[in-house]
Amino acid sequence: MSLVARHLEANKIPTVIAGSAKDIVEHCGVPRFLFSDFPLGNSAGKPRDLVSQERTLELAFQLLESSFAPRTTVQSPEIWSPSHEWKLDFQNVDRIPAEEIKRRRLEFDKIKEIGQQVRDETLNTDAN
Amino acid sequence: MRHSRPMDKSQVTNKPNTLIDSEDRILESVPYMQRLKDYYLALGYGNPYQWASYSEVPFATLTKPLSESKIGLITTAAPYKEGAGDQGPRAPYNAAAKFYKVYSGNTDQVDFLGISHVGYDRKYSTAEDINSFFPLEALKRAERQGRVGQLSARYYGAPTNRSQATTIKQDCADLLDLLRQDDVDVVILVPN
Repeated sequence: MSLVARHLEANKIPTVIAGSAKDIVEHCGVPRFLFSDFPLGNSAGKPRDLVSQERTLELAFQLLESSFAPRTTVQSPEIWSPSHEWKLDFQNVDRIPAEEIKRRRLEFDKIKEIGQQVRDETLNTDAN
Repeated sequence: MRHSRPMDKSQVTNKPNTLIDSEDRILESVPYMQRLKDYYLALGYGNPYQWASYSEVPFATLTKPLSESKIGLITTAAPYKEGAGDQGPRAPYNAAAKFYKVYSGNTDQVDFLGISHVGYDRKYSTAEDINSFFPLEALKRAERQGRVGQLSARYYGAPTNRSQATTIKQDCADLLDLLRQDDVDVVILVPN
């Protein structure tokens, strides 16, 4: 998505990314980034929380209107929950038992195989 | 010559490299690049993913007020795919639900969009409310309130390819074409 935002801006279309993977987006370098410090999957606001969703969108609008230079990041003031365990848990190898790591390796090999099949099917459809 | 001062112990936390506030909340964001690198190395995969990085960043300024602009929404969410298994809330990671081509849909009629094909946080998040990852309803309200001039008749789907070359050569060009067809002035991108 960062690459898409960059391409659109280079073609004169202003963009704002609303997302949660701050390091990845900023590492790439994008014009405007509204950062919600939430678990991945909630870039548009908290689930079942209309106020949070509207606030998030409004912040994105304000960022579009007020930014004057690229790499402008605004952090939403919203907090996901009183506990920040989610930050320590996500894909953290220090918190995953060895047996579980082995299981996930097998699972991920299958996932990659399926992904490749879907990709091949798409390319074959295009070729026909 | 500079002299080091004795450290004020009251400011030192017992969590090295972690900023916490007075309520013991972690202030730093999750270091996803490091986590994912460590994760896949632990699983036994070599050759860690190289995240895109640029020194130059393009920047386009608004040419008119938002209240007079047409806004487009780009999502990484996927439409329902027949025969591809569970794609709804709480679905396990589902590679069969992935898509590899840019698509568009009608903003007046969105029956289903899912994120089972991406690595969102499944422990703390369920994807049960589409509005938490696809802000269509909030955008429609903004349109009704006149905060934005108009919502584009279509929303646009961006594949989550691992290949940056494909994203740049194919997907970026396809998305730009669609946005130009629809005369979109400004875009919000919501990755998951």
